[in-house]
Amino acid sequence: MVKAVLWPIVAFFLSQTLMAQEIKVEGKASVSQVYKKTVEAESALSFNDLDIESGYVLYQTEINTDTESEELELENVRDYAVVYVDGRLQGTLSDQDKTLTIIAEPGKHTLQFYVENIGRITYGPEITDNSKGLFGTVSLAGNELQNWKMIPLDVRNYPLKDLVFEQKAVNGGPGFYRGRFELNPSSKSYLNMTGWGMGEVWLNQKYLGSYWEEEKQQSILIPSEHLISGQNELVIFELKNNQQKKISLSPIPVFK
Amino acid sequence: MHEYKISIYKYVKMICVLGLLVQATLLKAQDVIDLSGTWGFQTDVMDFRRGSLSPRYNHVLQGTIKLPGITDDYQIGYQNPYKYIDRLTRKYEYMGPAWYQRDIEIPADWKGKKIFLYFERTHWLSSIFVDTKEVSSIDYVSVPHNHDLSSFLKPGKKHRITICIDNRFQYNTHKWNHAHTEFTQINWNGILGDMKLLAIDPVYVEDLQVYPDITDQSIKVKLRVNNATKKQVKGKISFAIAGTNYSLKNEIALASTDSVTYVETNIPLGKQIKLWDEFNPNLYRISCQLTTSDGKNSYRHEKSTTFGMREVKQGKNHVLLNNRPIHLRGNVENAVFPKTGYAPLDDASWERIMLLMKEYGMNHLRFHSWCPPAAAFRMADKHGIYFEVEMPMWGKDAEPDEARYNFFRREIKAILKEYGNHPSFVLYCNGNEITGNFDFIEELTAEGRKADPRHLYSGSTARTRVKSDQYYVSQQTNKGAVKVYEGQPGTDWDKNVESDVDVPVISHESGQRCIYPNFDEIKKYANSPVEARNFEVFRDLLQKNGMLDQAKDFFRASGALTVLEYKAVIEALLRSGKSAGFQLLSMNDFPGQGYAPVGIFDPFWDSKGLVTAEKFRQFCAPTVTLLRYDKSSFFNTETFRGKAEVYNFSNSAIENAKIKWWLTDTAGKVLQKGTLKKQTIANDSVSPVGKFEIPLKNISSQKVTVHLAVNDTIKNSWDIWVYPKHQDLMQSTANVLYTDVYDDVAKRQLAQGKTVVLYPSPDKIKGRKSLFHNHFWNPIMFAWAPMTIGNLVHHKQAMFKDFLTSYHTDWQWWDILNHAKVIEMQHAPQQLRPFIQVIDSYDNNQKLGIGFEAKLNGGKLLVMALDTKNDMDNRPATQQLLYSIDNYVKSAKFSPQVAVDETFIQSFLTK
Repeated sequence: MVKAVLWPIVAFFLSQTLMAQEIKVEGKASVSQVYKKTVEAESALSFNDLDIESGYVLYQTEINTDTESEELELENVRDYAVVYVDGRLQGTLSDQDKTLTIIAEPGKHTLQFYVENIGRITYGPEITDNSKGLFGTVSLAGNELQNWKMIPLDVRNYPLKDLVFEQKAVNGGPGFYRGRFELNPSSKSYLNMTGWGMGEVWLNQKYLGSYWEEEKQQSILIPSEHLISGQNELVIFELKNNQQKKISLSPIPVFK
Repeated sequence: MHEYKISIYKYVKMICVLGLLVQATLLKAQDVIDLSGTWGFQTDVMDFRRGSLSPRYNHVLQGTIKLPGITDDYQIGYQNPYKYIDRLTRKYEYMGPAWYQRDIEIPADWKGKKIFLYFERTHWLSSIFVDTKEVSSIDYVSVPHNHDLSSFLKPGKKHRITICIDNRFQYNTHKWNHAHTEFTQINWNGILGDMKLLAIDPVYVEDLQVYPDITDQSIKVKLRVNNATKKQVKGKISFAIAGTNYSLKNEIALASTDSVTYVETNIPLGKQIKLWDEFNPNLYRISCQLTTSDGKNSYRHEKSTTFGMREVKQGKNHVLLNNRPIHLRGNVENAVFPKTGYAPLDDASWERIMLLMKEYGMNHLRFHSWCPPAAAFRMADKHGIYFEVEMPMWGKDAEPDEARYNFFRREIKAILKEYGNHPSFVLYCNGNEITGNFDFIEELTAEGRKADPRHLYSGSTARTRVKSDQYYVSQQTNKGAVKVYEGQPGTDWDKNVESDVDVPVISHESGQRCIYPNFDEIKKYANSPVEARNFEVFRDLLQKNGMLDQAKDFFRASGALTVLEYKAVIEALLRSGKSAGFQLLSMNDFPGQGYAPVGIFDPFWDSKGLVTAEKFRQFCAPTVTLLRYDKSSFFNTETFRGKAEVYNFSNSAIENAKIKWWLTDTAGKVLQKGTLKKQTIANDSVSPVGKFEIPLKNISSQKVTVHLAVNDTIKNSWDIWVYPKHQDLMQSTANVLYTDVYDDVAKRQLAQGKTVVLYPSPDKIKGRKSLFHNHFWNPIMFAWAPMTIGNLVHHKQAMFKDFLTSYHTDWQWWDILNHAKVIEMQHAPQQLRPFIQVIDSYDNNQKLGIGFEAKLNGGKLLVMALDTKNDMDNRPATQQLLYSIDNYVKSAKFSPQVAVDETFIQSFLTK
């Protein structure tokens, strides 16, 4: 009985104050829309060799597997790579964790590394080595992988209005996601990125910030001047594709 | 240890007549034996304790040393034969246990007292042996070591006190932290500052913390009273608070029934109490006199501290001090003290630095991965400088290691307790660029916030954010980069959007522009524990490469570039009103990590003579006039458009400000002038104050200066360059051949004794990229291309007759240098000096150039490694330089003196 009385009150408060506004993600634009010119080389070239200061590069090669499970090993990745085989997420790699088991039917596959450089190393013995991206030997089941295609991604500067979104996701790889929402009155809001992998966000075509699931900080402040009355549009570039279907607003910063 | 609730019997308050000096007369309640002077001494590189054989404390030590001091002062240690390149070389290296010994007679009247052995600062573990027994060891880094020897010293008896100071790393912490690094101060072994044996009554004030409440104009005083008598005591605590024209007394009763009693009391201070801030650093001193009795014996003890009435809070984008936003104009302080090899413990040394900060318009110091001694806080309290202090923590120090974690857990508490009362202690951060387990970083940060709300807290600079962060020092936020390492030729940009996150954001390690070393500094190390042997190596290499006579010019030219970069960097961060401030790296040189001469001061805090304090304050001060404009180089058909702003983080708004702009030529003659609307300029913000336009037609002096002033007192200025448009540049004549290839035509022209201007496309030239900026930090640590540190322009030579330039590059060179290539010229004849000479990394010192002239095969040759083809309609300075060179090569003044052979020309051209 008590429950019956209390619940509407609790529900009211939740809806008014505690429950964050949720935004449904509606459509995806494939990452291939922001591909820049492909560079081909025998070995994987670092960002420096590709003349890229920071951002994202897709490293791609064809593999031929003999067994269902093979060990992938890298010599260097700076700073973070999301690994896909035929568009299916296999896992992530960083300089602290440079091996990954690839699960795929024996045969020919496309192996893709989406590599992000987060920032410059500024301490420790590695300090003199300022290479970024993927470089050195990459091997699968002990065999060195060669014949790389390197495709820089124009994530930061690509005109968002030119992206073509499709309602049904065509593949499981990285991409841009879109969500639209009517604003609930709120003086200060944060976008809660909990559940998303790594990427960047724009609101109403203005850059809002970046996120990464490995960080404790899981929210991005939305400056009130970025919000418009009526419909607001979010675009999220997601590198890892955690299959998120929605995103929420929070009145306070979110840390895990 | 138990905590007992105390009862306060009475509460007495009296305010003394203002101006009346109240001298508290105390009974002799504390005895001190000053321990400075000669001590027995012995090194212990074998660490005899490990073998359990003849540890040093069993013997009379054979050598002597004077304390306070360090082993380096007495040439103790490994006489260093090396010349370190990446840092100053410590002449006598010592890292290991070292033993210090003295026989001390404990006064008989110390019976029943607590006896402490106190060292103000030591590195890093101090262990005390009384006679032959180890009785105490302390491993704090940031605070004094205060050994309680009460149970081990017998009053009336002579004891042999042997001290082991072990400056080895006691925990596996990062080796670069500035408390220990050989890169700045050295990892010394010794005892510094105040060192004494003191006896106090057994009922004493162990801790005194003062928490100001500026709203109530009161202080909360928290005391920890220790009672070693094992008896119940009763008595009173008398407070005396004094400041300029201020005096107040207050008293509370105390009853203590156990070993530790916590006392907390609020003391209203009255309306006349003044706040503390950078503009009015009003200080007060509180002394607490404890008088107790157990019915038989009575005890007295006095403890005092300085405090300031100020509160620190987290604002939206700024640190709030006394509820007002402050903007931090700061320097990264890295414990650079080559004169002594250790951070000074005396007031005068620190006062000098605080006064320099003030003189150069700064209000903030970040102590990077270390915490300074009390004298630094005292002088910052006195002069109004805001500190950020840190533990000796860096890099992977947050990776799991329970012993190391426990060290940091102790250290943070010790820092907060030891220095927490200082009003200058505004910000606390655990350390620099930390990686590892951020649950641990969050734990420390949250604990700090809970323990002491007088400071704002941050988990780590420039790394993962944590929940308890109250501010964030970083190169970037999740909104983008907030670092500013270099300027731009236009100024219409800022870091507002990137700085606007959930906490105030301070731009981390801004600046870092490398200057060529000044070899004159070598002689300054004669009496230091370190020497600039790397400078000797660099100097010898420059000499070998035939350019020693240019060392000073390289220093001056790269230094001038750093100054103009710092002006641009600081102004960009002042335009960023949503930034909480910046920390420049740095005002003084950093003599490690490869050696980074990025300062306008040398490592001794002596000016390098590159910029005056007055000039520096024009762009770094509480109030600065700012100007936004698109570019620095113009055609005289264009109009200069300026958007004026005033950065005002002073202590008041500027009422009815008169704002003027004017334009002068190089002779200082006013060419044009105007005023902006008279207005009141708000405080605590960056305000747009108006726009103005200056048509640039009829300007003939090439370089002009735009000035902007508020009330004729707050002035700033910016150089811009104005050029005529040129058509049909680089036209060959019968005598002068312009060619982008060195081919048979060119060779024939030269063979005829005529002139060739060779201007290969930069992509056809081997060699390094050309850049406007000098190298970031230093080219030894960050060995990334192009490893150059600016340019020396031979500006008095005739090819620059129609192109106004100084010996150093300025913003008009932006377009020229960013579209050029650097020719490797080390194998050209030694006498050949390029007229645009690129300054190489000082550990390489090769001759480099962008433009040079020479005799070749009987003809006259001028080579320019510049792009002269792309987008020339928008490159006024490049046009003007080509025009000037054209006039030169077609004049009788063109007469190269040094002959080169063809192989040199071929050496830098791609096939």
